[in-house]
Amino acid sequence: MMVKLMHDDRPVNPAGIQRRILDFIGEELIAEGLDIGPDDDLLSGELLDSVAVLRLATFVDETFAIGMKPTDFLVENFQNARVLAAYVVRATRDRESDG
Amino acid sequence: MPVTLHRMVDEAAMRRPDGDAARCDGAGLTWQELAVRVNGVARALLDTGVRRGDRVAVLLGKSLDVPAAFYGVLAAGGALVPIDPKSPVEQISRILRATGATRLVTEPGRRKTVADLLAADVDLSHTIGLEPGDTGSVPTLPWSAVDQLASDRPLVVNVGGLDTSYVLHTSGSTGEPKLIRHTHSSALAFVEWAVETYGLRPDDRLSNHSSHHTCFATFDFYAAARAAATTVILTPAAMLMPASLAQVIEGERVSIWYSVPTALVQLLLRGNLEERNLASLRWVLFAGETFPEKHLHHLRARLPSARFSHVYGSTEVNVCTYYHLPEKDAAPSPLPIGRPCSNTEALVVDDALEEVTGGGTGELLIRGSTVMSGYWGDPDRNRRVLVRRPAPGGFDDIYFRTGDRVRTLSDGNLTFAGRADLQVKVRGYRVELEEVETALLGLAPVHEAAAFAVSDGEGSSIVRAAVVVDPNVEVTQKSLLDGLKTSLPLYAVPSEIEILSSLPRTPTGKVDRKKLVAALADDGETHA
Repeated sequence: MMVKLMHDDRPVNPAGIQRRILDFIGEELIAEGLDIGPDDDLLSGELLDSVAVLRLATFVDETFAIGMKPTDFLVENFQNARVLAAYVVRATRDRESDG
Repeated sequence: MPVTLHRMVDEAAMRRPDGDAARCDGAGLTWQELAVRVNGVARALLDTGVRRGDRVAVLLGKSLDVPAAFYGVLAAGGALVPIDPKSPVEQISRILRATGATRLVTEPGRRKTVADLLAADVDLSHTIGLEPGDTGSVPTLPWSAVDQLASDRPLVVNVGGLDTSYVLHTSGSTGEPKLIRHTHSSALAFVEWAVETYGLRPDDRLSNHSSHHTCFATFDFYAAARAAATTVILTPAAMLMPASLAQVIEGERVSIWYSVPTALVQLLLRGNLEERNLASLRWVLFAGETFPEKHLHHLRARLPSARFSHVYGSTEVNVCTYYHLPEKDAAPSPLPIGRPCSNTEALVVDDALEEVTGGGTGELLIRGSTVMSGYWGDPDRNRRVLVRRPAPGGFDDIYFRTGDRVRTLSDGNLTFAGRADLQVKVRGYRVELEEVETALLGLAPVHEAAAFAVSDGEGSSIVRAAVVVDPNVEVTQKSLLDGLKTSLPLYAVPSEIEILSSLPRTPTGKVDRKKLVAALADDGETHA
């Protein structure tokens, strides 16, 4: 399935979204050399603190222009990069059907 | 009244055997089940040769194993050393070495940390909670074997009120953690005050939000035990996702909440509270830093069934003063830290330790049964902070110097007026700016370092730093931050590090923090 992004019209698939999320975490939020995969727990409290989680949420919201709502701050949306990418796909679809 | 903390488990198991002692992530453990597991952990430790007063470290994430491990150590006569699982290995080794803890209760998910500790030559004689093969030559007993050791036979272990109950760790300015020793008596004095003040009863359900190495957890676990109530242990995932946290509070019918304000602000802003029914909450306690007034006001409106209580203290004294917000009226501004607890004397003094009268500002001294017995292995610091001065009645007694500046308001309440040193609070965690500087100077290319704090605009602080580095080495902010993460807990790592060619100095050659802050922190109010 392909999802059209709002801000640059570049089609991105869930795997591409997941890659960008993992890249952001690797480059910005965790120490260099730490390896992180799509199923690694982002909410263990020991990899990311609350500030890092907020930065991740802001990155996802701005990069994929999904209009994140406070009600979306749920474990099932953020537990790992795989479910976070799936949430971005769902939110993008919801936004497109709304607009 | 019980003489030891673990005695409360036996009493609660008799009073409410089928009631929940703890809940976590949808599962529960009854008081009877907890009593049996505590017995198993204690027997396992006694089998390793633990003697009265031996320190036993507990390195666990949030789970139902936490109360079993805590009370198990105490029931074996040991002194509990709870370790913050967020601590880097370097910090954990410092704590184990300094306390002389050679036994560690942990869980399979931490086998890598334990391997790293052993590789760093930490002296561990036994571990509990890992599988054979996980720990090299160090004997270990998996949790499944611990449970089989449990029996109804009572343990014959002699422990008294003045024995060490636990040694808690907080940030220390030299990079060495401060190790705070409490006795069963000082912990129970706090427990008795909490049960009486908040009217805790068996049907209460207390949140456990904070990490279990903090003094917050002494309320969440031990005060709950005294009332045979339930501790609802919140998972890190729920704490990071406020909308999920609100679901848990509703689903678990939490009645007593205790945390730093930051957690409550997140709940208010992202918890989707308008769609939740949180009428079960009857007390909301908060401590550790300033609660931004606009958020406090909105939260109170969202939680009309709850009374709010501003609690003040430190790991050294448990809680020493408290202020219940008025039931209906607006809260005063700034919010006072209130009046001394029933078993506490609070005294405002000048630099000569003479009482300050007439509402002047001074340092707060605390005398009372909740005060720690001292810092572990640090007689110099103990002499500085546990001072003898005349008590009411004319005899000399021991007072704890809090390092907090306060003044007495005309209605008798105390109000906070800042720190006497460079300690700041980051989302409720104590951070000593000197510790951050020491860690920065520990990085090879760093020649000079200065840390400072700016306000985050939400009642908490953000740590920032400036460094001068070796011009021959390529250094980036990222490489410095990565380096710090191996020696500092995440909350103490600066949000930004500026690389400068020199640091501003005072005429005497000290780093001029005021000038530095003025130059770098144009975006916030400074704290130090």
